[in-house]
Amino acid sequence: MLRPVSAILGACALLAAGAAAAQDFPSRPVQVIVPYAAGGGTDLSARIMADIFQKHVKGPPMVIRNQPGGGGAIGTSAALHARPDGYTLGMGAQGPLALLPHYGGTDYKLDDVQFIALMGRNLQLVVACAKAPFSDFKEFMAYAKANPKSLQVGNSGAGGANHIAMEAFGRVAEVSFENVPFGGASEAMTACVGGHVHAMVATPAEALPHTKSGAIKPLFIMEEKRIDTFPDTPTAIEGGVKFTWSSWKGVIGPKGMPADVVAKLQEALKATFTDEEFVRRMQDLGEFVDYRDGAAYEELARNDSQTAEAIIRDLGMYQMNK
Amino acid sequence: MDILQHLSAVLSLEVMWFIALGTLGGLVIGALPGLTATMGVALLIPLTFGMTPVAGLNMLIGIYIGGIYGGCISAILLRTPGTPSSAATVLDGYPLAQKGEAGKALGMATIASFVGGLFAAIVLATLAPQLASIALKFGAPEYFALALFGLTIIASLSGDLLKGAIAGLLGVLISTVGADPISGVSRYTFGLPGFAAGLSFTPALIGLFALSEVFVQLEKIVGDKIVTLKVSGRWPSRAEMRESVPALVRGSIIGTVIGIVPGVGSGTASWIAYNEARRASKTPEKFGTGHVPGVAATESANNAVCAAALIPLLALGIPGDVVTAVLMGGLMIQGLAPGPMLFESRPDIIVGIFGGTFLATVFMFIFGMLGIGLFSRILLIPKRLLTMSIVTFCFIGAFSINLNPVDLYTMVAFGVLGYVMQKFGFSQAALCIAMILGPMAEANLRRGLLQTRDNVLEFVSGPITITFLVLTVLSLLWPLLRDFKARRRMAEQPN
Repeated sequence: MLRPVSAILGACALLAAGAAAAQDFPSRPVQVIVPYAAGGGTDLSARIMADIFQKHVKGPPMVIRNQPGGGGAIGTSAALHARPDGYTLGMGAQGPLALLPHYGGTDYKLDDVQFIALMGRNLQLVVACAKAPFSDFKEFMAYAKANPKSLQVGNSGAGGANHIAMEAFGRVAEVSFENVPFGGASEAMTACVGGHVHAMVATPAEALPHTKSGAIKPLFIMEEKRIDTFPDTPTAIEGGVKFTWSSWKGVIGPKGMPADVVAKLQEALKATFTDEEFVRRMQDLGEFVDYRDGAAYEELARNDSQTAEAIIRDLGMYQMNK
Repeated sequence: MDILQHLSAVLSLEVMWFIALGTLGGLVIGALPGLTATMGVALLIPLTFGMTPVAGLNMLIGIYIGGIYGGCISAILLRTPGTPSSAATVLDGYPLAQKGEAGKALGMATIASFVGGLFAAIVLATLAPQLASIALKFGAPEYFALALFGLTIIASLSGDLLKGAIAGLLGVLISTVGADPISGVSRYTFGLPGFAAGLSFTPALIGLFALSEVFVQLEKIVGDKIVTLKVSGRWPSRAEMRESVPALVRGSIIGTVIGIVPGVGSGTASWIAYNEARRASKTPEKFGTGHVPGVAATESANNAVCAAALIPLLALGIPGDVVTAVLMGGLMIQGLAPGPMLFESRPDIIVGIFGGTFLATVFMFIFGMLGIGLFSRILLIPKRLLTMSIVTFCFIGAFSINLNPVDLYTMVAFGVLGYVMQKFGFSQAALCIAMILGPMAEANLRRGLLQTRDNVLEFVSGPITITFLVLTVLSLLWPLLRDFKARRRMAEQPN
């Protein structure tokens, strides 16, 4: 219903603004499409971003719009197919950008993405669930080697980020697991705390309440270095498996935006993501802030996309939805 | 002494104000189709950042409780379940309203929501740590058996067994659209990205119940003179109250137990409660025709789920549905990790939430009872105008959830399907139940068999699984048994 109105307004704005796009930008609200439902981690992070963005960019507020569905593909596609004027951006997450295109059925590729700034990463912690026959990294590896394809690892969805992470880890570590997909991270965690799977991949924030209560035990983290929240938990590298993996999210837009608008957005988002208040509020939410500029963000996405493609081909899931 | 001290934090004017505000806001959100309690809680979370934990969390709980209750208002008056959890309330609530007894239906729904909510809140406050372990006992086989048991409702709910089965199977078939839960492959999406996550449930529900009814009404309006419904009083008669007591008890208990099991939800609870109330009733034939105990069963069950879902959340840190997951996010933002530790380290928060749950339930009752006169007035609007407004609401409601145009096609298609089903005597309820429980049964059957390496005997070995499977068989045999008994009685007394 709003579309014709905003199209007319947009046309007027274009006529009026002409070449002076960046100077007046933003002259109307910048809309950021979150490809997931309201209330999730990406959504709440985006809302904090919108709040702090206000501090650094004078003008109309940043607006968050949720467009969930298709594992994030619908909202991501909407952002990538928007008019490239900088007024419609999207939250660019690992799943929809680096994984989904390999399964087929998305109407965008990594080449269609203008990377603006990386906001943060979701670290991947592997935990031993209740009643698991192992409680540290060494025992975990020993059990996996002794029982090929029968150590059950819960993940938040078939073909999702932590499923691929575990498959990739298994290839590097030369062990195999039985991956058990659940309908979302919290469903998987419920099964883990109840002892219905042996292990699962979770973010530190998801795992923290349950490791504190002693229901589950942290095994290892898929990072270069140990992290503050779990200082006693080793990395996979320490255990002799040279493997790191994390999922991530940042701000993206369609290709073809005016260069000065992109530059202005990059500057504003850098200020936002390195703002102390932003970092503090994200930490309270259990999020790990990791600002990187557009080029570094793109490199990260391309690397992960390549790794994931090899795994997905191996699993026989390549272009399965085409 | 301690408890009283902690409670005084809840009873401060400021906190009570926020709870009242949350409950009232939730009630409005719940009553509007397409705006669900989940969305209300999610969108208002940023507002709670600056509040004290007790005030912020209790406001969210108020929205949750008010939202689940509010769903019954549009279900009863307009045949449009405001939230999916009120779909079962349509069965008896709407016929009651059509008989001119909207006030009574809303009154019973309010009383039932209050009773169910209060019962679950008492259980929450007294037995939370003890009962929470139930939540951990449910693995894939147990969920599958529970879903299968739920699906048998179709057999006893649809008058014509064959047509009920067809409607149920159609529902299961429809629920397979979208990503396969185990392998991730897209099924029946026709290459449309909008279907990749399956057909959206709420738009389907709005089409199935509300839009289809609009079509039926349109037929009647043409040539028919406009009937203005009388709006009766809000209190059910004493006899109706007495008749509803067993339904209230069943609904409250079923809602509480199902609320504790993560991920099953208030929709399932209200269908099971409705079916059990009907099965236990001496006059099962009255259900579905505007029978007060029918409303009592569904509404006590879905509001019992709210408080009960807080049990695994607070005691174990396990959120059972999207709303409690968002509430968990709210707790984490306040730096509080839910779980057994919270009971020891921050009893003030726990007591505060218990107190807030009671208060929100009381506020819900007060606002509901006061509002009935106002709500029912909707029916005094000339039917032509009302019908057109419902159509508008159907479209807005279906679109507002995901902002996805595909959802509008879904809603219209289900509207036509619902109309055809109504015309030819197929049960829309059967389709709805199958769409809720089909995915739960499928995902857990396949997950469980993956985990047991296709060993069926191991799959069905748990005591909870066996119990539900036995109940499933009994539930399937029940209608046959009832018919058999009825036939015998007929044979014994030849006329």
